[in-house]
Amino acid sequence: MVEFRLPKNSTVGKGRIFTATPGASNVKNFRIYRWSPDDDSNPVVDTYEIDLDKIGPMVLDALIHIKNDVDSTLTFRRSCREGICGSCAMNIAGENTLACLKPIRDIEGDIAIYPLPHMPVIKDLVPDLDGAYAQLRSIDPWLKSDTAPPPDSERRQSIEERAELDGMWECILCFCCSTSCPSYWWNGDRYLGPATLLAAYRWIADSRDEHAGDRLDALEDPLKLYACRTIMNCTQTCPKGLNPAKAISRIKELQLERKA
Amino acid sequence: MSNPKKPHVTVMRSQLSRARGLGSGQAGVGHWWAERASAVALVPLSGWFVIQVFRLAGASQPEVAKWGARPFNTTMMLSLVILTFYHTQLGLQVIIDDYVHGKAHLPAGLLMKGIVFLLGLFGAVSVLKLALAGSSRSTIAAG
Repeated sequence: MVEFRLPKNSTVGKGRIFTATPGASNVKNFRIYRWSPDDDSNPVVDTYEIDLDKIGPMVLDALIHIKNDVDSTLTFRRSCREGICGSCAMNIAGENTLACLKPIRDIEGDIAIYPLPHMPVIKDLVPDLDGAYAQLRSIDPWLKSDTAPPPDSERRQSIEERAELDGMWECILCFCCSTSCPSYWWNGDRYLGPATLLAAYRWIADSRDEHAGDRLDALEDPLKLYACRTIMNCTQTCPKGLNPAKAISRIKELQLERKA
Repeated sequence: MSNPKKPHVTVMRSQLSRARGLGSGQAGVGHWWAERASAVALVPLSGWFVIQVFRLAGASQPEVAKWGARPFNTTMMLSLVILTFYHTQLGLQVIIDDYVHGKAHLPAGLLMKGIVFLLGLFGAVSVLKLALAGSSRSTIAAG
């Protein structure tokens, strides 16, 4: 059955409070989920009082400031700090997004920061995405073509064919969408999730790919594809403004089209 | 010597093997489409039924029986009952798929289908009973 409560060893307790330096005028509280595999403790939420005058505008700036100057044990992933690597995906103020693209001023009151929901936690804000990556691998996210490419040039597409891929090639695989999806929470072992299905449609829609039928065969499953209940959390949460729900609908339309 | 602090690992199957699982079930399109088609069909049928209920408000039993015996009304009522319970079954199956996992999944689905089938059959028999009762009365009345 679905788990509606956290297991005992996942119940979140109260953590430490790191107070701001005296005299700080523009203070905001960051309440951050902390868990370490190195001791047997339950997770806690630590509170960091941060002087916003000292840091840049984004949530990631605050996290980097905490790690550099306040508490070096805080663990999170980050790399490009400009929304193209997808590393700093986390749940900020109840919404999955990229810390580097989320302005602090957009959030009223304290800022709660948790790892991406319903994934195993490696440490603090770092989720274990191995299963999600394996699901992506399972749909063969690469060009499959039996026709040899022209010897002297790349495989060509018309302008219209290329336009079909807009809104899909931009996906950076941060998995904000998949981990926002209740269907993925309940059936993530079999449902592929919006990120992987968007990637699957990206190759089905590619005019240079010659294996759309095989790809549709592999997706035609009550859970792999049809566990999507059009909840649309994926589209609402995508930090890149993409529409995975639409890609999933297109796959369902094609599944129907080829039956008739 | 096994380390007592180290948890016993029961799954060492690779992540890719788990993701691929048993492959595609080659099903789901029919269910998905039937759910939508039956939903669309139920819109006019339900609207028609609500209007009829208002029209029949305060009618006597023979009047209702006469109404139910008209072939058009019987057809509409049977369509409504069959499609309603068919759609119910499709929808409840989705809920069971979402929330009941493991060994309980198959029996839960069977139990649900059995109950919905019996309820639907009860509805259909009731419509037919009304239709046949209405027609036999009208025969007697005519004779």
